[in-house]
Amino acid sequence: MIINLDGTKPIYVQISEWLENEILNGNVESDQKIYSQYQLAEIYNINPATAAKGLNILVDEQILYKKRGLGMFVTSNAKEMILTKRKNQTLKRLVQEIVIEAARLQVSKEELIEMINAADIGEVEK
Amino acid sequence: MSLTKVSLIDIVKKQYVYKLKAYSQVFISLIFIQLLAVFFSLNGVGGGGISSGSIQINVSYFSADFVVAFTMLWGFITAIVITTKTYRIDDFIFVTNRASSNLSNMVFLLIASVIGGITAMLSTNLIKVIVYYFKSDFALKSTTVMDMPMEFLIGIFSTILYVFLFCALGYLVGTLVQISKVFAVLLPAAFLGGLIFDGLSGKTGVIAKVLGFYFTESSLALFIVKIIMTAGLLFIGAFALSNRREVRT
Amino acid sequence: MSVIECQGLTKAYGGVKALNNFSCNIEENKITGLIGRNGAGKTTLLKIIAGFMKETSGDLKVFSESPFNNLTVSANVVFIHDQMDLPTALNLKELLEVAASFYQNWDRELANRLFDYFSLSPLQHYEGLSKGMKSTFNMILGLAARVPLTLFDEPTSGMDAAVRQDFYRALLKDYLAHPRTIIISSHHLNEIEDLLEDILLMKDGKELLHMPIADLKEWAIGLQGKTAIVDEWTQNKELIFTKNIGPDQSYVVVRNNFSETEWQSARIAGIDLTPVSSSDLCVYLTSKTKGGIDDVFNKG
Repeated sequence: MIINLDGTKPIYVQISEWLENEILNGNVESDQKIYSQYQLAEIYNINPATAAKGLNILVDEQILYKKRGLGMFVTSNAKEMILTKRKNQTLKRLVQEIVIEAARLQVSKEELIEMINAADIGEVEK
Repeated sequence: MSLTKVSLIDIVKKQYVYKLKAYSQVFISLIFIQLLAVFFSLNGVGGGGISSGSIQINVSYFSADFVVAFTMLWGFITAIVITTKTYRIDDFIFVTNRASSNLSNMVFLLIASVIGGITAMLSTNLIKVIVYYFKSDFALKSTTVMDMPMEFLIGIFSTILYVFLFCALGYLVGTLVQISKVFAVLLPAAFLGGLIFDGLSGKTGVIAKVLGFYFTESSLALFIVKIIMTAGLLFIGAFALSNRREVRT
Repeated sequence: MSVIECQGLTKAYGGVKALNNFSCNIEENKITGLIGRNGAGKTTLLKIIAGFMKETSGDLKVFSESPFNNLTVSANVVFIHDQMDLPTALNLKELLEVAASFYQNWDRELANRLFDYFSLSPLQHYEGLSKGMKSTFNMILGLAARVPLTLFDEPTSGMDAAVRQDFYRALLKDYLAHPRTIIISSHHLNEIEDLLEDILLMKDGKELLHMPIADLKEWAIGLQGKTAIVDEWTQNKELIFTKNIGPDQSYVVVRNNFSETEWQSARIAGIDLTPVSSSDLCVYLTSKTKGGIDDVFNKG
């Protein structure tokens, strides 16, 4: 994922999403050290405080944990946590938006479900 | 990042070194002014002639008086120039406060006076050489340094002090003008007015008295005290006036 | 720890107040963006912080000392602005040498590397440089001086886009290696906002907002939809900007204190809720009217 720094989504949110993707993709394994705020600042040309804010979101969600003086590490079940979170939050919100848009376009529930069934799942599983 | 501590003396030193480089134009103007003065001196500063029968004797005095006077004027103008905005702003690009800025200016003017004073006195020799080569019908009777080394040294020393006095005066005048442009009109008007008034009244006026006070002192010690005290007062006045001044670009 | 503390700072030029009861605290080792329209008092504030000018009234402490005529403050602050006037007798290399003599933490190597990178030539004189090159040279002075408080007033004026990007990157890298307090004023908020930790928004000599830049994006929200519905949703909100789009559509920016449920029901009611970019928000906030330039043309 390339961070869209011009976007209207706060950068620290984008940073935490990018870190989650790194974990999901297996680029950073469980109990491995994750990027420091300074490395993130350097990589994305952003203020280290902004990067720290992105990291802290994940600490609050216990996807990362702090070791005093050593930095931040990936929790052992981080992947599952991210997946559950995304299911519960991101996917839910997306579904909500689909439903709103469907209502606006006067698409019935059945029609919508049909559309979901018809959507090519193969792409996603790859 | 921890704060750096600096001392006033240290900053004055650094600023003085910086100013010697940054104000180098001042010394180029010194050379021009002194050469001009030498040129004016070539006709002699005074003289007379007698003739007896077929023999005619012309006596001309050559001296560095013109050069010294011009150098004093140069000191005066230089001091005014370094109080102007362009020069004052140069200080504030780097580390400074008003005290260090003024003190380094004073040190700079002192060194400028020393250089101006020495070159002014040495220009006597240049005048002699030129007269010797280009006015060959003259018989040159000259006093050399070795004839009267003490007098020569005292001459240099007092020239330096005179130039420095004028620098101090210029510095105060310049500071006043920076505070209000009114002084740029007021001060010359007062000076010229004083001269004219003195001339009209036919008596020894204030300006003449002031000049007499500094230029006719016969005791060397008293002369030094007078000049240094006056220059000191002039600088203190300028420092006090400029200490609350803002730097606006 | 606060590097700068000011309380009720006022600076009057003649009858005009460039700073009018301005208060703020700038904390150590933060990069703060000083944003405001022309004439908002940004430069005046920086000049007073740098000790060039004296406040008319109010209280200002820089490193816990009054900055005016203060040698310690002067030694620990560098003020880079686009009206810099450097001595004409010295060439660029000599100017760097002079700067090196004044600043104890001066990074000679960084200065020389930047100097070469931007293809400045040592024998050139400052007054002969183009506007952009002057700014580039100033920037080298500001970074290499490496003082605890660095003030940049419109540092990129005249620079082309590529050099501006290089400057921002150089600033960030040097900051990461040597954290220090930096204030940077700019008209290009969208270019510098990623570098900033805090934003200080000024209007008419007063502080309007001072907050982490990350929070600014969530501070306000834009609502677009049918005018009647939008009005209904925004009637109890703090209006920041309004604009009519077509006959019955409007776009309104308000303070964002919508709850998650309000947000959802607004969407269902047919309102588009969109975040407002920092630079747009700053333009709206510092504008004299709620409708911007359109108000001039709307005679009704």
